[in-house]
Amino acid sequence: MTTANAVFLFVLAVGAGFFALNVQRLVAYLRLGQRENRLDHPLVRIKNLLSIGIAQTKIFRDPVAGAMHATIFWGFMVLTAGTVEILIQGVFSGFSFALMLPRPVYLLYSLSQDVFALLVVGAIAFAFFRRLVLHPKRLEGDHLEHLDAYLILGMIGGLMVTLLLANACFYILDPASIGPEKFVSRGLGSVIGRLDPSPSTLAPVFWWMHALLILTFLNYLPYSKHLHVATSLVNVYLSNTSGPGQKGVMKPMDLEADVESFGAADVEQLTWKNLLDGYSCTECGRCTAACPANITGKTLSPRKIVINTRQRLMEKGPVVTGDRMEFLRPALLHGEGGDAGATTVADVAAHRLLDTYITEEELWACTSCRACVQECPVSIDQLEIINELRRNLVLSESRFPEEVQPAFESLERNGSPWAFNPGDRALWAEGLDIATMAELAERGDRPDVLFWVGCMGSFDDRAKKITVAFARILKACGVNFAILGQEEHCHGDPARRMGNEYLYQMLAKDTIGTLDKYAVKTIVTSCPHCFHQIGNEFPQLGGNYDVIHHSTYIERLLQEQRVPLSTDEGKRLTIAYHDSCYLGRYNDVYDAPRETLRRALPVVTLVEPKRSRDRGLCCGAGGGRMFMEERQGKRINVERTEELLATGADAIAVACPFCMTMMSDGVKAVSSDVPVYDIAEVVAERLSTRA
Amino acid sequence: MPHILVFAETRGDALRKFALEAVTAARALADGLGGEVHALVAGPPGIAGKAAQLGQYGADVVVTVEDASLATFSREAIAATIAERARAGGYRAVVLGFSAQGRDLGPRLAAKLDAPIAADVTEASMSGDAIVVKHPAYANKVIVTLELSGPLAILSTRPSAITAAEKPRTPRIETMALASPGAAKVTVKEVVEGGKGKIDLGEAPVIISGGRGLKAPENFKLVEELAAAFGNAAVGATRAVTDEGWRPHSDQIGQTGRQVSPQLYVAVGISGAIQHLAGMRTSRTIVAINKDKDAPIFKVADYGIVGDVLEIVPALTTAVREAKSHH
Amino acid sequence: MKIAVCIKRTPDSESRFKIATSGVSIDETGLKFDLDDFASYAVEVALQLNEKQGPGETVVIAVGPDSVQETLRKAMSMGVDRAVHLKTDVVPPDGLAVAKALAAELRGGGYDVVLFGKHAFDTSAGVVGTATAELLGVACVTAASKLDIAGGKGTARRELEGAAETIEFTLPAVVTIDEGIARPRYPSLKGIMAAKKKPLETKPAQLGAPRVKVKSMQLPPDRPPGRIIGEGVAAVPELIRLLQTEAKVL
Repeated sequence: MTTANAVFLFVLAVGAGFFALNVQRLVAYLRLGQRENRLDHPLVRIKNLLSIGIAQTKIFRDPVAGAMHATIFWGFMVLTAGTVEILIQGVFSGFSFALMLPRPVYLLYSLSQDVFALLVVGAIAFAFFRRLVLHPKRLEGDHLEHLDAYLILGMIGGLMVTLLLANACFYILDPASIGPEKFVSRGLGSVIGRLDPSPSTLAPVFWWMHALLILTFLNYLPYSKHLHVATSLVNVYLSNTSGPGQKGVMKPMDLEADVESFGAADVEQLTWKNLLDGYSCTECGRCTAACPANITGKTLSPRKIVINTRQRLMEKGPVVTGDRMEFLRPALLHGEGGDAGATTVADVAAHRLLDTYITEEELWACTSCRACVQECPVSIDQLEIINELRRNLVLSESRFPEEVQPAFESLERNGSPWAFNPGDRALWAEGLDIATMAELAERGDRPDVLFWVGCMGSFDDRAKKITVAFARILKACGVNFAILGQEEHCHGDPARRMGNEYLYQMLAKDTIGTLDKYAVKTIVTSCPHCFHQIGNEFPQLGGNYDVIHHSTYIERLLQEQRVPLSTDEGKRLTIAYHDSCYLGRYNDVYDAPRETLRRALPVVTLVEPKRSRDRGLCCGAGGGRMFMEERQGKRINVERTEELLATGADAIAVACPFCMTMMSDGVKAVSSDVPVYDIAEVVAERLSTRA
Repeated sequence: MPHILVFAETRGDALRKFALEAVTAARALADGLGGEVHALVAGPPGIAGKAAQLGQYGADVVVTVEDASLATFSREAIAATIAERARAGGYRAVVLGFSAQGRDLGPRLAAKLDAPIAADVTEASMSGDAIVVKHPAYANKVIVTLELSGPLAILSTRPSAITAAEKPRTPRIETMALASPGAAKVTVKEVVEGGKGKIDLGEAPVIISGGRGLKAPENFKLVEELAAAFGNAAVGATRAVTDEGWRPHSDQIGQTGRQVSPQLYVAVGISGAIQHLAGMRTSRTIVAINKDKDAPIFKVADYGIVGDVLEIVPALTTAVREAKSHH
Repeated sequence: MKIAVCIKRTPDSESRFKIATSGVSIDETGLKFDLDDFASYAVEVALQLNEKQGPGETVVIAVGPDSVQETLRKAMSMGVDRAVHLKTDVVPPDGLAVAKALAAELRGGGYDVVLFGKHAFDTSAGVVGTATAELLGVACVTAASKLDIAGGKGTARRELEGAAETIEFTLPAVVTIDEGIARPRYPSLKGIMAAKKKPLETKPAQLGAPRVKVKSMQLPPDRPPGRIIGEGVAAVPELIRLLQTEAKVL
């Protein structure tokens, strides 16, 4: 071992050691969080890792930035092998993978290093161009965020350049040392060779620069948003946002637990996975750019929620773990307003994630549309953090917008978020000859399917028309169905979305009791919120039913040709279908409503608004926002309505009563007279007169 | 001889409309008993001039209590005075109006005289020895018939439920000094009339509410004028117009605003969305004015007029003013 | 301050009512009962007074059968310290009798303020609070829409028809609370859990012999279905006529 080797070994030890200390520290902070098992369903997790992580599927949702990032990422992965080789060579000069690999494999490996180094240089150049010249809106952070980005881009670029230059110089000094597969290095070497025929100093200098850059880069990670380099693949594996299990299901809560507080007010009440999400955020801003609240000028930014979680953990972690190594404390706590400026331990104790970092206003602005979760390339679950903080606000502190209180009280007293008489629930069915479960049970009879109407469909004048339309379709198809009538009451989803888990569980358990009393197996509903709640969240409380949304159900009926449709052409319509968040992003139902429209209207043109399907913009009513005032910025429903109207469609179609209200209001607000229909109404309108 | 004592409430120097209604109710009871109606009126000097009007509606005796301190409603002194008279006079019942002051006065009398009380009464009659009254309970959803036993009962009558009827006679006047029940525990510091003391939406017997059908914020003036014509009306608004900033959020009636239940609700240019209905459906009488005959508001309105609100409301204002001037 | 709030358990105001077969009460099947709205404002005012004035005690009292205990617990889940249940099988429609029972409990209790709701949903009579005050011989302000209490005195605002009174009063006092003064807080889960352990004392209600009884109950005649009475300005005279004669609101 030469002196150089010994020095390098020392440097390596220090660099690696320092990194290990930081890793240990960061892991210790994660332990502050609640426990959670994320090692179940390994096959699904591996699939996610391969597609979202390795194949970068979510990154490519932005094709240009996606190509750029994928290049850098794949380059990184490929070049890691080379990095290992170089670090070993630093200690054992004679080492090479050529000694271990079969020749063809080694050649391929060697070629890949060169090619990717060049590709990455190109991608980095584009990245600089993008930040400096193109200024994409979602990358607008504070000066520290920019500095961080330039440092990283610079270091990566530097790594590639020093690698190529080192190889080039070694090639000049000893052409045999760089194989012909390394055509980039060789090419570069030919050029440099004309300037300096014997770069005997430069070669090792470039090599050392490269090696030191590796160690610098590594140790910079914990202080940078680029920590995601270390955590993102792990985060994707451990995430549930693309399964395993049903998407968009809120975490179960044990209300009997003898705990001081419910939900989360600070980082220890989040799970270690939420905290890992904090580490993994690259501040790319795709979530915030897709957030309907943020787009319309509210203070909510999903990116900020995640960064704040990390900032708070970095603020509190050292104090709780008794970490005395103050100089290890990250200085670059930047982004989204900076950290809360704690200078003493007392400050840290007085702060918490809720209020100090994340305000009520932000939390209540969320429509739970899941666009942020959909976009995140490292599978962060922003919504989970928002929901846990909401639970704390409501259950522990009774803090929520005052206009929500009547909704809670009405749910408790009347079983509906609006103050309507429960006795009026089935008035829409008068004269339609629809049996109730109770009536059938009295005769010892049971229907094939229960039509769950929902509160909107039972009480709202506009939504009642949807209910009647769907009931007519069911009758025309001879479906053996019944309704709960006055025995139906809200399943509690609005309460749950607004953080009131206590009220939710009361209503949900009672509903499960009623459904089980009648041994209900199959349910069809025209409301996506009811669909999601009963079908996907009830199992948490022991209610297991097969629930179908009416768009899927009608499509099935149409496919089976059971729907007696009029034979004439019907109106020539251009329709813009508005995707419901709880149907679409939550349950992947995008095609059924569209197919339904196509089958029902033989001459129809479907046009897609700019943001469509899994990028569809929320109507603004989800997450309990239907029951809240919108006080800031532009109205979300107007933003979406304008987008739908911009398609030039003759009509807007929806598949959700909340969307119906929001789009109808939106159309009126912009003084348009474009009609809004539910897909059930479109089909019912086409029922042949014999039906 | 069983007489009926009526407390005839005044404001300023005028008798309240419901005071005459109370006299009418007392008259019916007295006729049933073969007794007299004694009306007690209390106020600043000069209030005795109301005796003739009370006689017009059937008072056989008018007890006048004049005192300078009665420029404001000294409830403790008035209660003590009525109780003193009631104890002295051999009455079967004391009748008063179920007004804001009457609600305060009635129970005081009941406790002072140890007499059962029935409040918010719409009918009163004798049934043998007992007094039988009707009272709308549970927000007017159930009519309860109550029987009050014992030698004396206190009844307060719901304003506008009984139609004042003229049964003219010349009353005997008796004067009485205001009782002084010791140091006042409750004193009126000031009374603010009308505009400044804006009627709270929850208190107003009449609410005129405007919606988007008014087209522009300036047109809310028409709603305000209609409210002014009623005199005791408050102005409400729908979420649509408060969101636009035409009216303050505190005026919003609906699911996320105020829930109200006035005697009369006039919905002007309001379509009747579920959010709004949740705030006013329990109003006793609902009038709707809207240009769209299919507007959901017409389903809950007792009386609806289809047409241009900007034309109809001014006409209605004039007509209401006309009708009120006959009071 | 030591504050008592007298509350009532009433059916939900959205309910549809049916008369029981006895004909002298409502049919309670399917009805949801809860803390009366105005009583809940009074509870909120009591809690806010002590939050503003510094430490004190709040007590909630109700007259009725065992079912009122649920309502007392609800008030405690909002933050009231303890509860007293004055037990009787049926609450008589005799407001003075109920006032006597409450006065017996409150007398000698050293309360600075006793709050009631302005009236309760079922009777909307507003009798009990004022009668109780009179029996106790203390100051009484009814239907306060604004309330300030400090240093042994209080100021309140009362809405009259088309005017407002500002009242000053001495302590001890009974105040009945109007709406708009305070929004009753929504009990947090913590409050609900804590309420289960707070003290609730039961005693018999000393009502005496009630002198008001229900003779019968009926449902009012069906509201005639609404109708569009006309179009345009021409319909106005008819509307006036109907408002005067039929609806009797003009």
